[in-house]
Amino acid sequence: MTAGAAEAAGTTPVRPAVEDDPLARLAGEGATGALHGPVGALYLSDGAVVHAESPAAPDVGWRLTARGRLSPETWEEAVTQGGPGYRTGDFLVEHGRLSQGELELCHLSALFDAAYFVLYPLGDGQRPPERFLREARHWLGPVRPVTVPALQREVRRRRRLLEQAWPGAAVDAAPVVPVPDADRRRGRGAQAVCGRRAVLRAADGVRTPVQIARALGRPAFATLLDVRRLTALGLIRPPDPGTTEADRPLPEAPGVPETSLLIRIRDALEAL
Amino acid sequence: MDWTTGLALGAVGEGPNHDHETAAAEAAELARLTFESSAFTQAEQAGPAERAGQADGPVEDLIVTARGGYHLIRFVETAFDSSVFLYLWLDRAEANLAVARFRLRDLTAGLVLS
Repeated sequence: MTAGAAEAAGTTPVRPAVEDDPLARLAGEGATGALHGPVGALYLSDGAVVHAESPAAPDVGWRLTARGRLSPETWEEAVTQGGPGYRTGDFLVEHGRLSQGELELCHLSALFDAAYFVLYPLGDGQRPPERFLREARHWLGPVRPVTVPALQREVRRRRRLLEQAWPGAAVDAAPVVPVPDADRRRGRGAQAVCGRRAVLRAADGVRTPVQIARALGRPAFATLLDVRRLTALGLIRPPDPGTTEADRPLPEAPGVPETSLLIRIRDALEAL
Repeated sequence: MDWTTGLALGAVGEGPNHDHETAAAEAAELARLTFESSAFTQAEQAGPAERAGQADGPVEDLIVTARGGYHLIRFVETAFDSSVFLYLWLDRAEANLAVARFRLRDLTAGLVLS
């Protein structure tokens, strides 16, 4: 199937089944390393997924600092001191910065969130991950590994959730445009504290769901789902079918360095 | 469990219909509807949760009683954006609902406190 055929198929291009990519094979081998795609990577350890990162999804550090759970300095300290030994997460817990429960909740949420965008990149013509860097490890360190079948099942389930909420993938990557009286129609105040309300408030007709997620420190998939549900409720205007998503580059994470890459490079240099 | 997505982050013991994943997805839907409904969240529109800018509703528990069992849902408050709750299914003949609710509350607090 060509990319053109996928685009012509309708609102949601059917991507190759998750089973077709090398993930299941690597799990079977019990492989350790990083599986890179066009937008992010999955880290495996002994065949289980221990981490996922994608520029589309706010990472653990961003989430913990976005609302002040940790100060940026505390996070930096943990990355600097714990990163080289691949144990940033343990460092945070050992130094009383976070409870083990918080670390696990935040990390698992970030892992599943990023994994969705690695396996189903937004925008047409993006391929699932296929480049595997053996023995690559992530500086956060293992927290709670997830088996590959469990991850694939969850990613597929999330895909169905989006389709059930609003069957048009165009809203995922387009600027979120609220209808003029969305705030009033929704009723004042009552839902001010819930996430979906925050997403509606952050919708300014310019930012895409991924950019809103970053601004709020909120999981990107949850924000996609919010946007689709708000579209179904008539509070967000579906994008004009005439605009093509392919021209629109995936928003880059502003000012977020590829720490993982930097640490790997330093390790490699030191090993020389 | 995560109520935005219906993901079971972890499960132990026996689940309703021997199916933790389906139970998680269904409980998450109930939790989400409660959390997003204006009737249940109205009282605290200018409460501490909003001042802190957190996605924490004032809802603490959901309790469903059935002839044979109790279903307890307890929302977890975190200082970062999350949508996590604990879901406990109990045999009505053996369980003490009040004790279970307090234990679940303490468990939830212990999960996020260092």
